[in-house]
Amino acid sequence: MADFKGGCFGKVLEIDLSSKTYTTRPISDEIVQKFIGGRGLGAYFAVTEYKAGKNPLDEDAFIFVGPGPLNGTACPSTRTCFAHKSPYTGLMSHAETGAHFGNEIKWAGWDGIYIKGRSARPVWLKIENDKVEFKDASKMWGKTTEETHEMILKETGDPYVRTAVIGPAGENGVPVACVVVERFRAASRSGTGMLMGNKKLKGISVRGTKYAVPVADNAKFLAAAQDARERLIAKEAWQGIKRWGTGGLLELKHYLHGSLITKNFQTTWYPDIVKIGGEEAARRFWKRHVACNACPVHCLKLGVIRQGKFAGLIAEGPEYESGGLLGSNLGMNSLEAMLALIEYADALGIDNISTGGILAFTTEAVEKGLLKPADLDGLKPKWGDGDTYMEMMKKLAYREGKVGKFLSLGVAKMAKEIGKGAEAFANTVKGKELAAHDPRGDKIRAYSYCMGTCGGDHHEGQGPKALATTAMADSACQCTFASMLCWAGDTDKVTVNMLNPLMGWNWTTEDFWKACKTIFTAERVFNVREGISSKDDVLPWRMKNEPLPAGPRKGAIFTADDEKKMHSETYGFFGWDEKGVPTEATLKAYGIDFLIDDVNEAKKKYKL
Amino acid sequence: MENKKLPDVLKKASTRRDFLKGTATAAGTAIALTAIGGIVPKKADAQLVVSTAPKAPALAKKFLFAERQNCTGCRSCEYACTIFHNKTVWPAMARIHVMKYKDIIDVPVICWQCDDAPCIAACPTNPKSIVRDKNTNGIILNEQTCLGAKCLKCAEACPAKVVWANPVTGQPLMCDMCGGDPQCVKACQEQSGDPQGPCLMANPFGFGVNLAYRDVTPEQAGKDLTENLFYPNVTGKRISVSGKKAAPAKKKKGR
Repeated sequence: MADFKGGCFGKVLEIDLSSKTYTTRPISDEIVQKFIGGRGLGAYFAVTEYKAGKNPLDEDAFIFVGPGPLNGTACPSTRTCFAHKSPYTGLMSHAETGAHFGNEIKWAGWDGIYIKGRSARPVWLKIENDKVEFKDASKMWGKTTEETHEMILKETGDPYVRTAVIGPAGENGVPVACVVVERFRAASRSGTGMLMGNKKLKGISVRGTKYAVPVADNAKFLAAAQDARERLIAKEAWQGIKRWGTGGLLELKHYLHGSLITKNFQTTWYPDIVKIGGEEAARRFWKRHVACNACPVHCLKLGVIRQGKFAGLIAEGPEYESGGLLGSNLGMNSLEAMLALIEYADALGIDNISTGGILAFTTEAVEKGLLKPADLDGLKPKWGDGDTYMEMMKKLAYREGKVGKFLSLGVAKMAKEIGKGAEAFANTVKGKELAAHDPRGDKIRAYSYCMGTCGGDHHEGQGPKALATTAMADSACQCTFASMLCWAGDTDKVTVNMLNPLMGWNWTTEDFWKACKTIFTAERVFNVREGISSKDDVLPWRMKNEPLPAGPRKGAIFTADDEKKMHSETYGFFGWDEKGVPTEATLKAYGIDFLIDDVNEAKKKYKL
Repeated sequence: MENKKLPDVLKKASTRRDFLKGTATAAGTAIALTAIGGIVPKKADAQLVVSTAPKAPALAKKFLFAERQNCTGCRSCEYACTIFHNKTVWPAMARIHVMKYKDIIDVPVICWQCDDAPCIAACPTNPKSIVRDKNTNGIILNEQTCLGAKCLKCAEACPAKVVWANPVTGQPLMCDMCGGDPQCVKACQEQSGDPQGPCLMANPFGFGVNLAYRDVTPEQAGKDLTENLFYPNVTGKRISVSGKKAAPAKKKKGR
């Protein structure tokens, strides 16, 4: 602990749910210099503690809830990362969320929460500074995320606590279950909710009052953080996001970019977007702008439905992803019905993106006659039919009946089960549904989908450099909007300027890039051990074989050349071989030579 | 500690008269130029005129106000407050708070600088451990005489519920208006911009509004805002979308 000059307390809260005890796990400056925190630290724990093929649902498997060094400091727009081996894809995964949860962990005096074990009965964790209580959650079990959140607030009696909870989906072992943070934000793409449900952990509440993050050189750090903040405020590109949130991108991608996914990626041209997009929501729905920590951008939009069946429903969105996946991808043309779907998915604690992918895939399968209503317990999904989708969502979250179990397999496994060429329209990468950017229209997004650690994730960075800076942003727990969009080109300088005075380091921008690559490569090693190589870093069939039928990018296709370029650029940038396996020299250069044996073993096993 | 110090502008010898003179020169020139040719001076010209005039001290801002519905819950006010007072970010130490009401509203909780200061009236020590700074309207705490955690009568008396106990010393955290230039207001104004205007403002004059609104507790403010913003759901209650109460986890028969 004395090890740190600033930025970290040197202690991670280690919670064992089996024995209901907690201890302090020390972390050292040496490890933090390599893996930073959040996502990186989670990857470090995973590669060092797990053997290849580890079952993430084992009792001793962990979830790492990681704020990074920048959380809780004067740095604006910080986030929280949940890192673990995904029970959905079996790969190293990380899910980030906004809001104030991570900062509160820091102010409670912890650099992260490492959760392992499994409770016999449902519990929720009440963390108040150094004190941890294991509270009975049997009354909360079965409740939606919103109800659970309310119950926790009521029980703590403190409106200032921050929560992360799971819904029925997590309890019932649905692999696309998410963790909902502070009611409207979600860490969703990695199946974290399923893991928490497996551990019988219904929720976490954090309140930190006792500690402030130590800073090595305060005056310099405050100046650097202010500089970062001013860059955010001044950035022109943010003005649209301030007004419409990411919901405004729905129109942008339809009219201009040609990458708005529509009806299970059949096209990117969806004229009905004007009925469900950002401007329609601004006209008829939005009421408030909500921001994360000290963030000038307030990208979350909160609103209320004023009339009709769902009158009075207070919901968040549409964001680009939720509006794409549960809007245009399902052929929705009613703003109210779409918002109800979004809100219902949040309440059940299922990932908006994967759920939208699953529902759209099922609809197309029915359309093509590969699935009969009899296979779906009599349900007949149809584009734009919100009520049926809502019913399907419920079945999915409760794994109710044949259809619930079938849907909860996820698109990749569903396609395999259906057979008959269903794989041709199963839009997944590494077993996970794609997000709302069609890579035929938005080719650079393919880097994020294919080369990213989790697979199918829109959030990993477009292009090799962005993949690297995102690894850093998620580890220092900085919003990628800030690091990628705002400080673009200067991300390294801005981050180093903040990290140096905060941590008392003497980093150059080269050290920054090295740390980015170290984290990303360590995650890759984990995935290589699980059998991932260049053969998996590819887009699904439809993206490579079906030209876009309409829209501004009509005729576009993701070609074999595009793929080759993507592979060679990324592998080359990170120092991996042509099969996507980190080389020995690379691992040595990054100072993670303890992984060399693992890589060699995996190479032998998978003949790479 | 920094909070004991008055900002430089107030300590400087320059008086209110200097200040008026300064503004008069600048404004006068501008008017004269406009009157002569009907030409509005260019920005650079105007700056040149102002820079030659004696530096004008800002008029002490004595009252905080909040345009509550503009709050985005970013908490940059809490950040600025503790950066000024504690040289670090530590919201539990802040003299301004952002409270979540029913997850959907962020309520800025601020000191209203009440004229009759119920906090000071409630202070049991003699002489009083909290006093008002006449120049800035801030409440200044005497750490030597304050009884701290075992008393906190001031926190109880505060109608706005803004007074918290210092998590380290147990003594109340009083809004001292940062010596007349509240940092929270600066931070809020910096953060805001199209389409969302700033929430926090400071003004030399209270207009009595500060007294009229002071009894609005954060909960009440949250309630008001919910009613205003979320019509027809005026209580902000959670509505179950599926139309039914969420089913228990147990599987139903026959499914």
